[in-house]
Parts: sequence; C-alpha cells; structure tokens
Amino acid sequence: MAFLEYLADPSTQRSLLEQSGEHLFLTLVPVAIAIVLGVGLGIWAHRVPALSRTIVGATSTVLTIPSLALFAIFVPLVGIGNTAPMIALTLYALLPIVRNTVSGLYSVDNAVVESAKGMGMGATKRLVKIELPNAWPVMLAGIRVATLLTIGIAAIAVLAGGDGLGTEIFRGLRRIGSAGAFESLLGGTLAVVVLALLIDLAYLAIGRLTIPRGIRE
Amino acid sequence: MSDIMIELKELTKRYPGTETPAVDRLTMEIPRGEIVVFVGPSGCGKTTSLKMINRIIEPTSGQIILDGEDVTDVNPDQLRRRIGYVIQQIGLFPHVTIEDNVATVPNLLGWDRDRTKARVDELLDVVGLDPDVYRNRYPKELSGGQRQRVGVARALAADPPVLLMDEPFGAIDPITRTRLQNEFLRLQQELKKTICFVTHDIDEAIKMGDRIAILQERSIPAQFATPEEILTQPANDFVADFVGSGSTLKRLKLTRVRDVNITTDALLGRIDEDKHVLRQRLQESDWTAMLLLDAEKRPSRWLRAPDFLHDRPVAEMGLPARAMIEPQATLSDALEEMLLGSAGVAIVVDGRGAFQGILDVDDIITSIQTMRDANAEFYRASKLIDPATAIA
Ligand SMILES: Nc1ncnc2c1ncn2[C@@H]1O[C@H](COP(=O)(O)OP(=O)(O)O)[C@@H](O)[C@H]1O
Ligand SMILES: [Mg+2]
Repeated sequence: MAFLEYLADPSTQRSLLEQSGEHLFLTLVPVAIAIVLGVGLGIWAHRVPALSRTIVGATSTVLTIPSLALFAIFVPLVGIGNTAPMIALTLYALLPIVRNTVSGLYSVDNAVVESAKGMGMGATKRLVKIELPNAWPVMLAGIRVATLLTIGIAAIAVLAGGDGLGTEIFRGLRRIGSAGAFESLLGGTLAVVVLALLIDLAYLAIGRLTIPRGIRE
Repeated sequence: MSDIMIELKELTKRYPGTETPAVDRLTMEIPRGEIVVFVGPSGCGKTTSLKMINRIIEPTSGQIILDGEDVTDVNPDQLRRRIGYVIQQIGLFPHVTIEDNVATVPNLLGWDRDRTKARVDELLDVVGLDPDVYRNRYPKELSGGQRQRVGVARALAADPPVLLMDEPFGAIDPITRTRLQNEFLRLQQELKKTICFVTHDIDEAIKMGDRIAILQERSIPAQFATPEEILTQPANDFVADFVGSGSTLKRLKLTRVRDVNITTDALLGRIDEDKHVLRQRLQESDWTAMLLLDAEKRPSRWLRAPDFLHDRPVAEMGLPARAMIEPQATLSDALEEMLLGSAGVAIVVDGRGAFQGILDVDDIITSIQTMRDANAEFYRASKLIDPATAIA
C-alpha cells in the first residue's frame, strides 16, 4: 500500500514524468544517430559483400562489452553527464539496425532488382525507389529492437553522470532497506517498462503508416 | 532502315574464374519485326547471350549493334529504356500498384502524368486486364498469369522497338501458358516488335518463333532457321536429337487454326430465343446439335434434341460450351482442347470471345494427311537431289 501512496504523491508524479522526458531524450537522440549511421553502414555492407562480415562483426562486438564498461570508457573523453551515455547507447543501437538493413536488402527478390535494372533504372534510383522500400519492414523491425534495447540500458546512464529514469531507480538502490527505497526502485523500473510499451505502440503505428500496402504482412 | 534490327558480332562472355567461355563468339543477325527464339539445353548460354544484348551482363568482347548503332559502350541505362525486358520470375515491384509498375519506364523518361496514365490504361487493356479493376491493385493480389500479363505490359510501356524475353511463360501452368502464348502472338501481329525469346522447350520455340536458333554448348548455333526448316531439314544430329521424334505432331504445332478451313455455317441460336423456335430450327436442320450464343455472340451452350424433353429455361438446357480457341492457336492446342472438352470439337472465337466457327477432329486429321503427303513429297524430292540429306 505504501507503493500506492508513493504513486499518489504529486512530487513523485512530477519527478517520474520529468525523468521519463529525460529518458526519452537519452534514447531517441542516440537511436536517431544510429539510424543514420546504421542504414548507411548497412547499405555499404550490402554493396560490398566483402565488407559485410567486418561491419556486422564490429557492431556485434560492441554488444559483448559490458554496458557499465562502455559507459565508463567515454567519461574520461567527454566528462561526466549525458554525452558519454549517449555515445555508448548509439553504439548499442547500431548493431540491430546495421544487421537488419543488410538482411532487409538481401531479402529483396533478385528478380525485382534485375527487372528494375533491365528497364534502365540507375543504381541510386533503384536503391531509393525499389530496394529500400522493400527492405523497410525488416529495417523497421531492427530500429524497433534498437530503441527498446536502448530504453533498457539507458537506465544506467546515471552512473556516468547522466539523468533519466535511472535517477529514481538508483535513488532506491542506494538506500535499500530504508523507508521508501523499494518504492523508488519499483516506481522507476515500472516507468521504464511503461515507456517501452508506449514506444512499442508507436512503432506499430509507424509500421502501419510507412510500410507500403503491397508488402504488408 | 535496314532489315536487321540487332546484330551480334563475335559476342563473348567469360565469367571470372571459369576456363571456358559461357558464350563463345556468338555472331547473329536478328531481322526487324521477327521473333527469334534461342533454344537449347540448360546451361548452354541462352540467358547469358540474351542478357548481353541489354548489357545486364557486360560482354567480355564482341559488339552489339542495335538498329545500325554500336551500343556496346553506350550508357547502359539509356540503352535499356529502349529495350523491353521480361524475365521468367517477372519481378513486378511488390510495393507499388499495377499502374505504377507499368508506368516505370514512362516515369524514367519523364512523360507527363496524363500521357502516362492514358498509356497504362491502354496497355492493361491490350493485355486483357480491365484497367478499372486492376489499376490500383498490388502484384500479390494477382494470379501468376495476370502478373505475367502485367510484366508484358510493363515491358511495352514506352513502346520499345525491341523486346527481350527470358523464358517468360516458364513458370506458368500449361493451360494458362498456352493461352498467354496465343495472346502474345496475336499482339505481335499488330506490334511487329523485334523479339529475342529464350526457352528450353523446343515445342514453345516452334510455336513462337519466326526463326529459331538452336544453341549448343557455349551458345554456338547448331542451326539458325525457320521452324519449318528445322523440322524438315535438321542441319545435324544435334538438331535432329533436340527436335526429337514425332515430327508430324510437331507439325501440328506449326499450323494455326486460322490456316485451316473451319466450319463457319454451324447451326446457331441465341440464348434469349423462344424454346419452340429453337427446337423447330434444330429439327429442320441436318445438324445434331445447336450452339447458343449470348448477346455478345459468345458461345454459351450446346443443345441436342433430347435436351428439349426436360422442362428447363433455355439458359440451363444442354451442356455449357467449352473448348474455346483463338485463330492463332495451333492445331496441337486445338486438339488438346478437344480432348479436355470431350466434345470432339473446338469452338473458334475471336479476341473478344465472339463466335467465329467450329473446328472438329476430322479437320485436324485432314490437315495431318496433307502434311504427310507434303513430307513424303519433300523426302522424295530431296532423294533425287541429295541422297545424304534424305537419310538424315
Ligand atoms: N554469374 C555466373 N558466374 C559464373 N558462371 C555462370 C554465371 N552465370 C551463368 N554461368 C554459367 O554459364 C553457363 C551458361 O549459363 P546460362 O546462360 O544461364 O545458360 P542457360 O540460360 O542456357 O541455361 C552455365 O554453365 C552457367 O553455369
Ligand atoms: Mg536460362
């Protein structure tokens, strides 16, 4: 019952809402950067099959680095604050996006690309008008995974001096055992989950709006 | 304007890392307005040869002359917009509508909206798809045969003088394939495009080709001649083997329904006529059956005398009319339809499905007889001239 009281408290609500906003900023900016970089790298890897393994391999290696270590690595370079976590999160978001861009492009039927070529469509036009739209459902799935992954990991940004919902979670963790600590821990965690669910819903809507009707389902 | 539309000179393709070339110094002249079929066993280099013409595959050496112009080194995208391209897997763009698919090349060429739209509608009509129904559909909402029609419409969009087709009807069920072949031949009578057509099926080659190139390994032509010549005067054992036995049956594929006498004075009725009038007309004739046509003159039902004993509306009497063929169908198609329709006759209809006449098994047997005689004549004649060819 203490948890309900905690939630009902206007100051709790205010800080959770504020931290959710920070959390969103902390994830969406890295995801946006990762989309630009990842789609670019993915297209490059698809174009030059010899590079494909190296590029996808390098981005997977990032995922094996413990997140705390990756956050810490950038602190000496950029200092305490949101910047180091955001660089780390960008790297995390990269892998699903690169991998799905490559596999999305490979999934486009060869005959479709060849017929476009056979009608005199140049390489750039082919990429923009044929290959990317058909690869898009797979690419979008990668972007969605990247976003959800980032929302989860962003909770530890606070350890590198960042903000977001990690603030509330670690406020609880540091005082575990004392009054109100558990509520903070649970409240912060639940807010992350709710944020993730809302983002997932948003992706469902984005899919509806952006996947061409002819290739839906 | 020369009679030669495409000239291949010593065209060679050596794939990286292979010893022997896939296509070895192919030299060939393709006459304007004809269908030239490349036929040969799998792996002999047909596809490679075809794709070098629009440079989807860049030749290792040799020259391609298109309508008098050396296009071996011109901008390939510009070149391809002048050449229609149809492949077996069709490759329609799944994410856009049928309209946008067909409009691909007009859009690349920068046609204005109205002109493109009018052209798309015209072409869908030409390939037998109602534009109002299909324009806004997506490829996945079409059957295999319909997709292939869209593929042909798309290739024809900017009215290219040349069409390259790689096994275009290869992935379609036999009945639909026959229909598409016939429709395409009818279309070609009007379009008079220069067409290179690849197939591995000698029967299809004989049916579609004005001229056939039978290719051996490395795309070396074993014979380049008309279907008649290939059937009656195979140049060597390879050709004779490839063409195979049953040459009379093959000849059936050479002869078209429009080339034989069909019965045009069959006993007809209209589906909206009075039952008693129809009955009287049947009784007074020396026919055993009467063909009922609908308002558009399309065959609807067969009636025989006993059918009048049952008390049914005219539209439900007798048997539905089946086995419909078009004049450009071959006698072999007609025979097949007759066997499937189990009536022993095929009804000849025009492109809109309107009645033209009736073809029965006897008509086909008569023409087989004529071919036999002609064949015998040919072999007798060649024996007198050159005993060697008579044995082959
Ligand atoms: N991209 C390629 N790389 C290497 N060899 C190829 C390639 N494409 C085709 N070949 C080879 O070239 C020969 C001719 O192939 P192809 O033109 O596809 O024959 P067809 O269409 O008559 O079946 C075959 O031996 C095939 O294995
Ligand atoms: Mg082939």
